Amino acid sequence: MSNPTNDLPQATEHRLEELEKGLFTSDLSVNEFLLIKEVGFHPVGFVMGSSIYHTGIQTRKWSQSQELTKLTEAMYNARELAMNRMEEEAAELGADGVVGVRLDVNYYEWGKDAAEFIAVGTAVKAEDGVSRLNQLGKPFTSDLSGQDFWTLRQTGYMPQGLVMGTCVYHIAHRGIGQTLGTTGQNVELPNFTQALYEARELAMTRMQDEAARLGASGIVGVRLEEKSHQWGSHTIEFLALGTAVTKTSEEMTLAKPTTIISLDN
Amino acid sequence: MSAPVPEIPLDLRAEVRRAVASLDHESRDSGSMTSDLSIDEELNLHSIGWEPVALVSGVSVFSVPVGCWNWGQGEIAVASAAQAHAFHHAITRIHTEAANVGGHGVVGVHIERLVYSTHIEVSLVGTAVRPVGAGAINGSGIFVSDLSARDFTLLMIAGWEPLGLATGASFVFAPRRSVATVLQQQSQNVELTNFTEAMYSARESAMERMQQSALAMHGTGVVEVKVVEGPMRFAGHAVGFVAVGTVVRLAKTTHQLIHPTMVVSLNDQNVAFDAQTLA
Repeated sequence: MSNPTNDLPQATEHRLEELEKGLFTSDLSVNEFLLIKEVGFHPVGFVMGSSIYHTGIQTRKWSQSQELTKLTEAMYNARELAMNRMEEEAAELGADGVVGVRLDVNYYEWGKDAAEFIAVGTAVKAEDGVSRLNQLGKPFTSDLSGQDFWTLRQTGYMPQGLVMGTCVYHIAHRGIGQTLGTTGQNVELPNFTQALYEARELAMTRMQDEAARLGASGIVGVRLEEKSHQWGSHTIEFLALGTAVTKTSEEMTLAKPTTIISLDN
Repeated sequence: MSAPVPEIPLDLRAEVRRAVASLDHESRDSGSMTSDLSIDEELNLHSIGWEPVALVSGVSVFSVPVGCWNWGQGEIAVASAAQAHAFHHAITRIHTEAANVGGHGVVGVHIERLVYSTHIEVSLVGTAVRPVGAGAINGSGIFVSDLSARDFTLLMIAGWEPLGLATGASFVFAPRRSVATVLQQQSQNVELTNFTEAMYSARESAMERMQQSALAMHGTGVVEVKVVEGPMRFAGHAVGFVAVGTVVRLAKTTHQLIHPTMVVSLNDQNVAFDAQTLA
């Protein structure tokens, strides 16, 4: 991984060269494969990126709610590294974009202080030969499934990129005095409420900033995940993920849905 | 009240021999049929003129040398090779069984793959299928696929045909870090490049081997690729990557569009969007 412009390992180069011989690989289900074909795209290859990242240490104050910037930065960096490598693989294949992107975090027994961040998806290319690269001239990424991609295309929207925002937040513990004071009462715990609120807002704002950089007009399929990873119960990562989209055509081809009542079960 | 005790054959060896011998003679009478397909799947198959024939299986257990999991460097080549052989033999056996019952392919193959410190086991169980009333074909033309009967039907409607299972495996040792490096990195945010590269390369190798087997079958694509990965239960420093997918090829001259209809189910529990076809 010495070459900064293309830091993919050699095995990757070899695998991607093979894919250029006219074989495609894809982790799409048959349903998704057919729906991608239906909207004029062809899968070109299963692409991935990974980064094993060591997260530094940051001291937390027991009774203070605060963002742990160093940890936030680590979560961002590691995911960016994995995503960038996946995009590089897609670019190498001449793809227009990557659909069905999944971001995973793996922990290994031999590296308790480190985590592997993985991004995988299926690179696709438009069959009409017209480039569908995003505004930055890179392949678009999207965590939409084949079904969602099909539906989105029927409405004239095009994914621009998978956008995310993250925030690792330490939520203050309550003092004994406070705990005793509220025992037996119905009362809102403002410090908890505020901390969780702020962390979520920070993550969402960062995600929106990423979408704005892509010139997107909206973000669909947003998910907000909360995970403590291995930091204990008071340190939580808030991760907002979604697909930024822009309208590329005024044509609405989505037919009026038929309502059905299934007699199964 | 005790449950009736199943009768145990007196001579187990003879019983096994009889079972193995029965695999060799061909039975093409369409009288009885076994399959693990649901009624829906069977109807799906019939809608494109195919029928299930029999439940078939293939098993292979391959030994790995003692000590091959002891901590070393780089790839554990013997384990990768053993996994490849086990897959190969299991697939050959399921081919033979399918050929004996007159199947043209095997769908819905359930893959069970187990890695022990002394051996690697692969067992495949699926339903042999054929075009209604068709005669037997020779073993090499039979496809084996882990796609469900429903997915198989859908692929055929779109003009594609499955060719077989492509597999690739790679087992590697995790690289070691010196105590000094660990301490030095303790408080930093830093990518562990040697770890990343080792895992990345291993994953790519597994995929690459899968692609090789797909190319050998003259496929033009591999769908539903699944990459199963993780450390061994008995040796946490050894990590395995196994990629499996179904090789496909365009059977008709062009891809047939399926024109899905949008439906909204009015059932309460099931409001999820579902793109359906199969007119």
